[in-house]
Amino acid sequence: MNKTIRQLTLKRQFAEKRFKFYGQASLFLALIMLVVIISSMTYRSIPAFTNYGLNLNINLSQNNIDKDNINYRRLIRENIFLLDSGCEDRKCRREFSRLFSSGAAYELKDSLENDPSLLKKDFRKFILFSDDADLFYKFGIDKNLPENERRLSDREISWLSDFQEAGLVEKRFSTNFFTNGDSREPEIAGVLGAVVGSLYTILITLIISFPIGVLSAIYLESFAKKNRLTDFIEVNINNLAAVPSIVFGLLGLALFINFFGMPRSAPLVGGCVLSLMTLPVIIIATRASLQAVPPSIREAALAMGASEMQVVFQHLFPAALPGILTGTIIGLARAFGESAPLLLIGMVAFVVDIPGSVTDPATALPVQVYLWADSPERAFVAKTSAATLVLIFLLIVINLAAVILRKKYQLKW
Amino acid sequence: MVDSMNKNIETNGVRSSISDNPLIDCQDVDVYYGDKQALYSVCLGINEKEVTSLIGPSGCGKSTFLRCLNRMNDVIDTCSITGCIKINGEDIYDPNIDVVELRSRIGMVFQKPNPFPKSVFDNVAYGPRLHGRIIEKADMSNKVEESLVRAGLWDEIKDRLNEPGTSLSGGQQQRLCIARAIAVDPQIILMDEPCSALDPIATAKIEELIDELKAKYTIVIVTHSMQQAARVSQRTAFFHLGSLIEVGDTENIFRSPENEQTEAYVTGRYG
Repeated sequence: MNKTIRQLTLKRQFAEKRFKFYGQASLFLALIMLVVIISSMTYRSIPAFTNYGLNLNINLSQNNIDKDNINYRRLIRENIFLLDSGCEDRKCRREFSRLFSSGAAYELKDSLENDPSLLKKDFRKFILFSDDADLFYKFGIDKNLPENERRLSDREISWLSDFQEAGLVEKRFSTNFFTNGDSREPEIAGVLGAVVGSLYTILITLIISFPIGVLSAIYLESFAKKNRLTDFIEVNINNLAAVPSIVFGLLGLALFINFFGMPRSAPLVGGCVLSLMTLPVIIIATRASLQAVPPSIREAALAMGASEMQVVFQHLFPAALPGILTGTIIGLARAFGESAPLLLIGMVAFVVDIPGSVTDPATALPVQVYLWADSPERAFVAKTSAATLVLIFLLIVINLAAVILRKKYQLKW
Repeated sequence: MVDSMNKNIETNGVRSSISDNPLIDCQDVDVYYGDKQALYSVCLGINEKEVTSLIGPSGCGKSTFLRCLNRMNDVIDTCSITGCIKINGEDIYDPNIDVVELRSRIGMVFQKPNPFPKSVFDNVAYGPRLHGRIIEKADMSNKVEESLVRAGLWDEIKDRLNEPGTSLSGGQQQRLCIARAIAVDPQIILMDEPCSALDPIATAKIEELIDELKAKYTIVIVTHSMQQAARVSQRTAFFHLGSLIEVGDTENIFRSPENEQTEAYVTGRYG
């Protein structure tokens, strides 16, 4: 064999091997990063999924309670002091009751309203510790620090240790985290409000941007004449896709809230703003998938006497559907993880109630993450990671839906 | 250069010798793609229930001409057509003509088989359904069977009607496309190099089919194979550089062409 040809061949083979190695290395790096992110998030979020509490005896059989006017806070306080606090003065009593979550009164209210027969009984109720006590059981506390620099005083620490020795303390899976809205108290704060807010927002985004995006893409692709106007529109759609999302937030604030007078902090407005952001993505994806349909199909249908509209809806659209769905879902997933424009339209508000409709005040999951990350209480650190995990999990579900839908509607050529 | 050629062609304008009352009558058809002229005053008549083949080197405008006959060029924005094409004495470029209705009378078979990504049955039933001609299920089955029988495909695939049309072999796909075209009982079938993507056996089958179909339909076929033109067509038209050079009975075109260019092309010295 000719020597130079042999050298060239070797060189080419080596280049190919080298390129393959680069590809594998970058894939490996990407995977490592993904694993690091997910595992560190998971590790840090573990404390958020459990709560420490105490099984408190609630004695209602002796008391004669006025059904219509119950002071639940007082009920809890009275029963707390049946425990051995050893307190004489007011200050001590306040310190003792501070060990327990202020959410306990609401939970007692819920269980009494669900089961009024309890009003005449003695029963045991699991009440949560406050976040500082909870953290004490989870991580312990550094006793070498001077007392006034600690979150818990020596007296509080000794109470908590006593509870533990008496076997009163119980660790439970924190259902609160999945069933509650936001709260100032980390131990009862949950993501449900944010999840529901996010889902409402995304629903509005989908309802607005999917039909508008797909129809405008179909029109531009199949019906519009190619002229300066359509060129101009095309350039602008591509530009819109590159506009920073916060600009859409400003636009939404000025247009939807100030001009149209839509409610502040509502998923309706959030959805409208995010649709502005998602529209160009959907339009571009739809046009690309319509262009990818083999022109022979269009010709075949036209030659059979189909009108332009029949060609589009009987042939091009079904063939392009997998691509359209993928593009739409990628756009929605991006909108789902978006926080900046929502901050501007007031979805950053502190909302405790689970939103019941698209006009109720709500926050979205990414905004919730931002809010918690910004909170001073140490217990919110774990909550932040846990909320991020929920966000990632929902995004995975959405992307999985994209894969399944694409597989389902894929046509065989 | 284009101008001088143009003049040359105009002075050479060819009129075919044709029966008094052709089914398709084209007069001075000019086609432009933007500024570029693709056809120069083509005058051609096509007889009923005959196979007319259009031959010529690549880019000579035969496909463009074929596509004028069912107005498939309409979908190209830059394409403009002048002149007059009459089918059954009716100007098909008249503004009052419904293109959809026109195309339902003129079937077309393309170079590359292009069945829809649907079942074989749905492919054939597409036209009748589209035009609302057949509503009863039993009638539709009959129509599909009849079309597939006529396209010579029934015996091969009668058990595979529910499989996607795209799963058939290339030759079967092309015959499926022919079956799809004849399912709406067109008067004319246009074929744009229907065998160029097929092997010789599939080609032979299609040619046989064309021969049978001419009893019922008028067929215009564009082909690069002169043997094919000689085998299947009764009349042949030779195009070159956008103009019709010569048209006549196939035998005459191949045995004793009047024009030098035609002779050079059909004897393989040129093009």
